[in-house]
Amino acid sequence: MTLSFTLRSALRRASSLMFVGLLPLLNGGWIYGPQSTFETHGPVAKTQLDVFYVTLWVTMIIFVLVASVLAYATLRFRVRTGESANQPPPEQSHGNPLIELGLIVLSIAALVVIAVPTLRAIWYTYDVPEAERANAYEVTATGHQWWFKFEYPKEQIEGSGTLVTGNELVIPAGRPVRVNLRTVDVIHSFWVPKLAGKVDMMPNRGNHLWLKADEPGYFWGQCAEFCGESHAVMRFRVIALSESDFAAWVAQQKNPARTVPGTQIGATPTASPRVEFASYTYERQRPNAPGWSEGFSRSPFAAWQQKQQADAGESPELIAHGRKLFIEKKCAGCHSVRGHEGAGISGPDLTRVGARTTIAGGLLENTEQNLHRWLTEPNNVKPGNKMWFGGYVVRNNETGVWEQQFSINDDEARALVAYLHSLK
Amino acid sequence: MQAITKSDFIGKDAPVAEKRPLIFTRPTAKTGLVSWLTTVDHKRIGLLYGVSSLIFFLVGGFEALLIRVQLAVPNNTFLSAQAYNELFTMHATTMIFLAVMPLSAAFFNYIMPLQIGARDVAFPRLNGFAFWVFVVGAIILNVGWFVKSGAPDVGWFGYAPLTSTAYSNQFATDMSTDLWVMGLQVLGVSSIVGSLNFIVTIINLRAPGMTMMRLPVFTWMTLITAFLIVLSFPAITIALVALMMDRSFGTSFFEVSNGGLPILWQHLFWIFGHPEVYILILPAMGIISEILPTFSRKPLFGYPIIVFSGAVIGLLGFGVWSHHMFTTGMGTMATAAFSVATMAIAVPTGVKIFNWIGTLWNGQLQMRTPMMFALGFVWMFMMGGLSGIMHSAAPADAQQQDSYFVVAHFHYVLIGGSIFGLLAGIHYWFPLIFGRKVSEAWGKASFWVIFVGFNVTFFPMHFLGLNGMPRRTFTYDGNMGWNSANFIASVGAMILGIGMAVYFVVMLYTYFKGEKVGRDPWGARTLEWSIPNPPPEHNFSVIPTVHARDAFWYEKHHREEIDREKAQHAADEEAHGGIHMPSQSWFPILAATSILIGGLFITNHHFLGAIGGGVLLFITVYLWAWEGPGGYHLHLDKHGNPIEPKDGHAGH
Repeated sequence: MTLSFTLRSALRRASSLMFVGLLPLLNGGWIYGPQSTFETHGPVAKTQLDVFYVTLWVTMIIFVLVASVLAYATLRFRVRTGESANQPPPEQSHGNPLIELGLIVLSIAALVVIAVPTLRAIWYTYDVPEAERANAYEVTATGHQWWFKFEYPKEQIEGSGTLVTGNELVIPAGRPVRVNLRTVDVIHSFWVPKLAGKVDMMPNRGNHLWLKADEPGYFWGQCAEFCGESHAVMRFRVIALSESDFAAWVAQQKNPARTVPGTQIGATPTASPRVEFASYTYERQRPNAPGWSEGFSRSPFAAWQQKQQADAGESPELIAHGRKLFIEKKCAGCHSVRGHEGAGISGPDLTRVGARTTIAGGLLENTEQNLHRWLTEPNNVKPGNKMWFGGYVVRNNETGVWEQQFSINDDEARALVAYLHSLK
Repeated sequence: MQAITKSDFIGKDAPVAEKRPLIFTRPTAKTGLVSWLTTVDHKRIGLLYGVSSLIFFLVGGFEALLIRVQLAVPNNTFLSAQAYNELFTMHATTMIFLAVMPLSAAFFNYIMPLQIGARDVAFPRLNGFAFWVFVVGAIILNVGWFVKSGAPDVGWFGYAPLTSTAYSNQFATDMSTDLWVMGLQVLGVSSIVGSLNFIVTIINLRAPGMTMMRLPVFTWMTLITAFLIVLSFPAITIALVALMMDRSFGTSFFEVSNGGLPILWQHLFWIFGHPEVYILILPAMGIISEILPTFSRKPLFGYPIIVFSGAVIGLLGFGVWSHHMFTTGMGTMATAAFSVATMAIAVPTGVKIFNWIGTLWNGQLQMRTPMMFALGFVWMFMMGGLSGIMHSAAPADAQQQDSYFVVAHFHYVLIGGSIFGLLAGIHYWFPLIFGRKVSEAWGKASFWVIFVGFNVTFFPMHFLGLNGMPRRTFTYDGNMGWNSANFIASVGAMILGIGMAVYFVVMLYTYFKGEKVGRDPWGARTLEWSIPNPPPEHNFSVIPTVHARDAFWYEKHHREEIDREKAQHAADEEAHGGIHMPSQSWFPILAATSILIGGLFITNHHFLGAIGGGVLLFITVYLWAWEGPGGYHLHLDKHGNPIEPKDGHAGH
């Protein structure tokens, strides 16, 4: 009687626990998102997920078995209130070597089930498989505090060397891509959950990983190793294109920066253009305000394709002014726009910044509002960044105080936004 | 008896105190501030450890709550990035080095000598020194909150080269990293000194008949933990010295621009860091292995296997450090080796869980509060252990490493494991230490609030990690699918905070107003329960003789035999001059203070001052050596109370 009662209450507890445990799964939002490791889009991430499922099933089975014995023992041998605590003590038994040995052997067997696929996957995920090596594409990713530089060693440009982009890595879909991982400062980690698990970018160490996107698509990535003040906002994207789109993209990248007619330095001796030329009104944002829109979040790949086209209503006067400010405000000292001014390499290459979906290291959607915000108050977007420290403000070596060198006001920002967005 | 027969006091009374210079006069206060500052009593030092570690536990918990407030909603501005980085660095450092380790040390100090039938630890003054050095380390680590440069912000793991002057001093002159380096260095001294003391104590001061395989499991785990500390701390000490050289004198151990190797830091750190994980969990496992048998009213199932598996865990713990580095590009062979070694360590850990269940089987389980926490430990530790097996598969770990999945995993083993075990221990030994018992209703209420709050906080984090949320991020965007899980986790953290508040308020209330209890209120099995509560300064009126593994259980069932034996031993001991007690001393705290002075000067790169601190340390230790061993004899009346000395032989 008591036994059946115990069992029934145990079952009732178990089922209610199970329900609570399953609740998040029923609400699929908890396992699906832009960086979900459950929605894989390539063989490396898929292999890693398969290993995870093996470990999940083995540990779940162990859990169910051990937990039910534990729950049963707890309920069955409990001294209930009302029963005398002074009853004679139970048999003072000291253990059973056979049972213990058996359980050890069983645990080892369970671990072997995990170990075999684990070992196979370690070798598979380490480098591009031999059979596919001839077909592999190679890129180099370099971590900086707090953005990623991407280089295409196979794409050499006459007179300016390797093709370089920043924060958005475009790769061919359906082809294995070997990513060489480098860093110029501290340790970062390259992680695009839907394509591959992370590998660290270590100083003085040549790491690499490989990944393959099965289909064209747009993938979120993020630095996964603590790398200083703005680690949390060091993000990037991977865009996979079909073979023909990728070839066209590379060909386009090799061209010098796009120049809107009549915007060369000195072409239009205009006075400072006025605000009404700009197509937006800027609203100041609080620090750390979100920088993405619903539409972009829903279909980022379409947004990327859209970005490759020139914007409607470009104002040559504003662009020309922006291009002048790009030099005056010292942007050109750290950034380069190939074919225009600037050959700096300490900041991201801006030759085609207008064609990127994001700015500020993958943090903000590349809208006029956000670019304006990033240019006027960079330290409120990404605290500690080197565009602010070392650019806008410079340290006085004698007093140790950071002194403001220049600022960018709203009118100037509008011109710079127009110029940068014309760089497609 | 062993202790006495091995000492110099056989057959002669304590020598008459010679006239000595004032600085060598031993303090004799038994109450008041001086008695605490100069104490060498392992029980008092245990209490000092306990109280200070609980204060830091609350500080670390408060830091965690601030972190959870920041992450409750996306794009929050409650904390700045800088403040957040300081908080997660100090939360981890505080919880590991200033809360869990010293709380374990509190139990080692208080309980272990009682369990082996000893009157104190082997080196009582060194024991005081270990505690005061711990306090110094804690001060150095936390002083950053009150100065301009801020608290350490490089993470508790301090990966090079983020700790180099080039990166930690980018935007401001910064001493927070120096404070972190010096603080950990000093805490390492404390841990190693304390551990050597425990090792010598357990090996040499066991009561007659207390063979190694009769040691209570908690004492065994103390011994294993002490060995882990002594063997693993040198690795981080070397790493910290090298880092200090890099920062202060321009060496290039980790300095990338001069060919230094940041990966070297990671290897040295984790050779310490992984055994550290077991340093945190083994004491809790020991406590659980005392509580489950007591409240099941039967011996521990498979004692030898529990002991050996503890030792095997300790040993294997030195061979798995690189599983913290699966994503550093170690290459296939090393990754495979550390993957398999990590899986192997699951076997002895699983064995412990099987044996705890075996202990419950056929028992008479009394569901008192310590038992609730102990069972909570088994459940939560099992879950944390199973997610640990998931990490051991390196390819799966490539997705989990540095994500919230890892955060979920180690909080299940560190809160659900270590903290539940330690909270169980506080409940369990409270009646012994203070002679009062916590109310069952309030104790259980706090357990359930803590248990629910803990799971609500950390269970959703598994999903956050697998859904791609990295650790150590002060903010996240609202479109990543992380909002609801983060919000629930933050609510859970508040529940957990309330549970802890209830727990400690109940403890405080019980300390002042709780129900008084007599000797052995739980029907326990080990020697510490054989003495009156609160225990007298000399612990045992008569050093017990041990006849079986559960020594006190045996005593209770063989009263006559034991009483005869004890009367005989009491007579022997009195004939040998009485009970030998250690004298108090000022030098432990003075030596520790000179470390504080030197340490603070070093962190300010003021090297003349640092040398001054070193000289002061040398002087205090030198005088300490000249002070001599001291010691006095105690004589008891027939009720076991000390007789006041008449001739001035005692108490100098």
